[in-house]
Amino acid sequence: MPISKLGTSPPTDERTRALSIASCHRYWKTAGASGIDRLLLGLLIRSPTVELDALERRIAELRAQVRAAKAAADHATVRLLRAELRKTERAWDDALDPEPEPAQAPSLSVREQVHQALTLLGVPTAGKMIVAVNEAFFAGRVTAGQLTSLRRDEEKSFRTSPYARPYYLCAALTSELLSPARGLLAVSTWPAQIRIIGPLSPRTDFLTSAIRIAEHIARLIHAGEDASLAAYRLLTGMAQNIPGAVDGFDRAEPAQVIAAAGAELTIHRESDMHERGQAAKRAEKQLDQVTRLFGAGLKTARTA
Amino acid sequence: MSIMSSYARALAAQEGRAQPVATVRHVHLSAAPMVFIPLRLAGEAAAPLAAMVGTDPENPRLLVVPQPRNRDLRFAFMAELADVMLPYIEGFAEVVETVEAKTPYERYADAPQILVPSRGGVAFTKLLGRSTRFRRADGPYPVHPTVPVLGQWLTFFADRAEYAGSSALVAMTDALALHFATGQSPMEDANLATQLAWISPPDGQSGAKAALAAEDPLISPPAGPDTHPDFDGQVLEHAIRAYETSGSEAQVREALRSQLTPTWSLMWHAVRLLRGLPEAATVDVRWVRDREQFTRETARLAEGGSPRGRVDSAVRAAIRLADLESVVQTYEAQRAFDDPLVMIEHRVAGKAFTGEVVGVDAARRIVPAGKTRPAPRPLVTIRTSDPVRLSPGRKLFSSRNRKQRTEVVGIDGDLVVLQINDQMGRGASPAPGSLPEVGDVVCYAELDPGGGQRPRLPAGEDTPWTHGGPPTPYTPTDEDAEEAWS
Amino acid sequence: MNRLDTLRGPVAPLDHNARTIAALAVNPGCDRRALLDAAGVDKQKTAAYVGHPAPFGQSPFAITRAASFDALVKANGCAHLLRLLRETLGLSISEAAYADISDVGGNDSHQMRHTRTRALLKRAAAGGDGSCTLFDHPLLKLTVAGHEVYLEPSIIAFQIEGRFHVVEIKSFAVVDDQADAGQVAAAARQSAVYVHALRELFAAEGLDPERVSHDVVLVCPKDFANHPTATLLDVRQQLAALRRQLSRLTRIDRILEELPADFTFDLETQSPDEVGKAVGSVGARFAPECLSSCEMALFCRAEARGDGSTDLLGRTARDALGGLESIPAVLGLADESRPPSPEQLEIAEQLRYVRRLYTEAIA
Repeated sequence: MPISKLGTSPPTDERTRALSIASCHRYWKTAGASGIDRLLLGLLIRSPTVELDALERRIAELRAQVRAAKAAADHATVRLLRAELRKTERAWDDALDPEPEPAQAPSLSVREQVHQALTLLGVPTAGKMIVAVNEAFFAGRVTAGQLTSLRRDEEKSFRTSPYARPYYLCAALTSELLSPARGLLAVSTWPAQIRIIGPLSPRTDFLTSAIRIAEHIARLIHAGEDASLAAYRLLTGMAQNIPGAVDGFDRAEPAQVIAAAGAELTIHRESDMHERGQAAKRAEKQLDQVTRLFGAGLKTARTA
Repeated sequence: MSIMSSYARALAAQEGRAQPVATVRHVHLSAAPMVFIPLRLAGEAAAPLAAMVGTDPENPRLLVVPQPRNRDLRFAFMAELADVMLPYIEGFAEVVETVEAKTPYERYADAPQILVPSRGGVAFTKLLGRSTRFRRADGPYPVHPTVPVLGQWLTFFADRAEYAGSSALVAMTDALALHFATGQSPMEDANLATQLAWISPPDGQSGAKAALAAEDPLISPPAGPDTHPDFDGQVLEHAIRAYETSGSEAQVREALRSQLTPTWSLMWHAVRLLRGLPEAATVDVRWVRDREQFTRETARLAEGGSPRGRVDSAVRAAIRLADLESVVQTYEAQRAFDDPLVMIEHRVAGKAFTGEVVGVDAARRIVPAGKTRPAPRPLVTIRTSDPVRLSPGRKLFSSRNRKQRTEVVGIDGDLVVLQINDQMGRGASPAPGSLPEVGDVVCYAELDPGGGQRPRLPAGEDTPWTHGGPPTPYTPTDEDAEEAWS
Repeated sequence: MNRLDTLRGPVAPLDHNARTIAALAVNPGCDRRALLDAAGVDKQKTAAYVGHPAPFGQSPFAITRAASFDALVKANGCAHLLRLLRETLGLSISEAAYADISDVGGNDSHQMRHTRTRALLKRAAAGGDGSCTLFDHPLLKLTVAGHEVYLEPSIIAFQIEGRFHVVEIKSFAVVDDQADAGQVAAAARQSAVYVHALRELFAAEGLDPERVSHDVVLVCPKDFANHPTATLLDVRQQLAALRRQLSRLTRIDRILEELPADFTFDLETQSPDEVGKAVGSVGARFAPECLSSCEMALFCRAEARGDGSTDLLGRTARDALGGLESIPAVLGLADESRPPSPEQLEIAEQLRYVRRLYTEAIA
């Protein structure tokens, strides 16, 4: 349901009665046009923030000053104040105006959306794939640019107050040196060996991702919904690089992908899990709580 | 490169001005050629970025793709290009002339001619043709109906450009190099601006100096298809971003106009320069071939002919290759016989000579090999100061009669003895005028305007299994029509 | 501080890559380039400093395109690449292990990466447990003109059944199984540099260099789509040429011997004029081809112009003119204003003849 760009209910508070006619006008227009009832609107309006309160106070102040200036016939000041008033009203508008948000997950932050995608995939994943999964199955609002500083922010937060959050978006560790693997994001609550990247892990994790995506599509179909075109495109693209997962340039079928990826996975799984398990044990012994999540390193030159 | 053209280059460098390597114009120049300057996005195989195109020097048409990575905008560009090119091309399919032959046939009285700045422009034209000729106006990724038609025509022109001496699609730098030796290297001649600077520098300036100035990309932007990296980074990138945020393509247009306009002027300047040269004798013969091919292609397309496949069949490829080779030979011979300056190259190489006829034995008759009765085989003796490097038995032709077969009988010092083999009439003795006479100055060369022997190739249906057997003709597929263009 | 450091001045030496080595090998007789490259001098800066900035650059669009295609091929644990290798070389399904050597635990020093490259390749060659299949960003070393340089690679090395291949990822398109001949040739020349360097590494480790294949896997976008396709490229010929050229490369020591001890190209302490003089005092061998591959080309061309050198006209023209070095000499021999030396007799005669015919035809 497209409920982007909604208006607001007119302020009833005594202090803000003098609010801009424009914003009220827009409310009635948009609400009327899209035929959305006031109940739904009420749900969408976030509780007034401190910022809104401040703006409203400022608007009331400016109104009063305009009246006073008018009374004093100080036209220059009136003009200045009106301009200022218009600016402030616009700011109030903007503060209330919700960003265009898809219906499904309007309240999820980037961090939460990344977590959602990673939980679907279940393996350490590169930013590009996270964006693709987010687009195919969820709100589709995460961009690659938003992911660049995520890991560093999480590390900062963890260092300040460890385990204060239910989960952290953290690094995957290379099996040999336990250093952070380039460009991959993982979830702190996963078992340690899942967050280890051995030589075979890029391949097994890719196969696992394909299976998880296929399973998710199958679930959607089972629930009577179909997956998006983007979801099928993602799955087909992956399947083309898995032997026997798709025929030619056809659209991939979840069951066939699961079977084919599973078959290849069987070949690699044992040695991959062995390598990861060994490394996880070493990590347990050698690393402190921060480096266990964010990686150790011989960071000397440029650090990522 | 021959010693003659190298000498001309050295002379040009010394004189500070290009030197002629032809006395006549060897390319056809239409009364109204279409100048086409296409640009593409750097790093992409065939992402059109812009084109300046038209037949009126005063009125170029500028087409741009404001976001070259957008497939829809690319096809919109191609449709716009079709709007300009198709009426021009199809406009020639109106006036017909009938050719008297065993079975008389018709051909168009004139044909379209497209001029691009350089070989890069020809190659890019070919790619544009390849990326659009399979498209369809219906199906999952429909394009404007004119797009595949334009694709077929671009393919046709690019194909013609591979035939030596064809003037259907001409790279201007090649056309100029055919007539002028600059004081720079052939590699640098691929830059139209510097090449022209050598040929016609501004008054009072040496070509060398003008060429140096013309290397400044701010004065003479590259003639395409690639734009200058600095332009890409400093101007185009921002203009494309501006289009994405504002939806207005004004900035992209202006940026690209600035890159194309200088080349546009250079192209017409080059056209005027070439027009100044008298046309060589056989230019028209070759242009007739272009007209015939154009006539054929028009008919083929009118009958709904399908686009040329991605890859030629074995037989078609072999025929084409033989054609290409034969055309090269003919063209080389024609140019040399048309132009004494071109003939110098062959004379210096010892494959041609000029001299005075000092003796004619017109009455000589022998029994030619494989025949039973004696036939006239006159001998002509020529005195030459050229360093002849020909051995007895070599087949020669002359500028006097380009069809008459002759062969070398012997060389003794500065005397060459030739035997005339045909073109002497049916009588027992040579027809009057069929032989050179004592005192004539003649030029003979080991160059065959007939294009030499053509190999005999099996018909398509007889293709041997070693070459894949009889080819199945290309039929358009959905896959080709829906091919990604990302 | 050794002499090459003095030459360069107090800045870090530039990395080599296959493109620079290949270009160097194209013009092995050029002392100037050999010296500047061996010292790791930033030729682009130097050329601009002396007033002849390089005539070429790379478009940001081309750079972006190349990077995004490279990323696509390597995405998801090299999923595309594995498919291609399985299809073209019959790589078995079980061989999928991947090692990235773009840093070692966050440390990206050359020394560190090279050591790691050697260790991983050696382990793989021994064929023991945990031996890898794909090696991304291996850092190789090469001896150029008697001087060791690091090669910043843009390749993946890859082994199948104990035989190693170089995988070169290029973003030019292969349309209907045909690619731009010039670009393929350049790719082949560059790949040959990697094959050569990899073989040197093997030899240094006491392994059979022939285990590095001369068949390079070239990965390019297919037709007009972004879908990667692979072709095997036999670079034996390029390898032979490279080996020959590298062996002919003028020894740096020999060049250094002829230069004063305090000789430098240091842009910090020297004026443009001084740097220009310093560069000019090392012999160059200009050819028009330099214009597309060497940053110093315009400087050298200006110099060649000053000398009236036949190099300006291109190599084939120079050869056609009997290898005569100067344009005035060519014209002087032709119009007989200059007496030929004994070895010039033949070409002089030809030139006189050409001049006579040319003048006649023009008249």
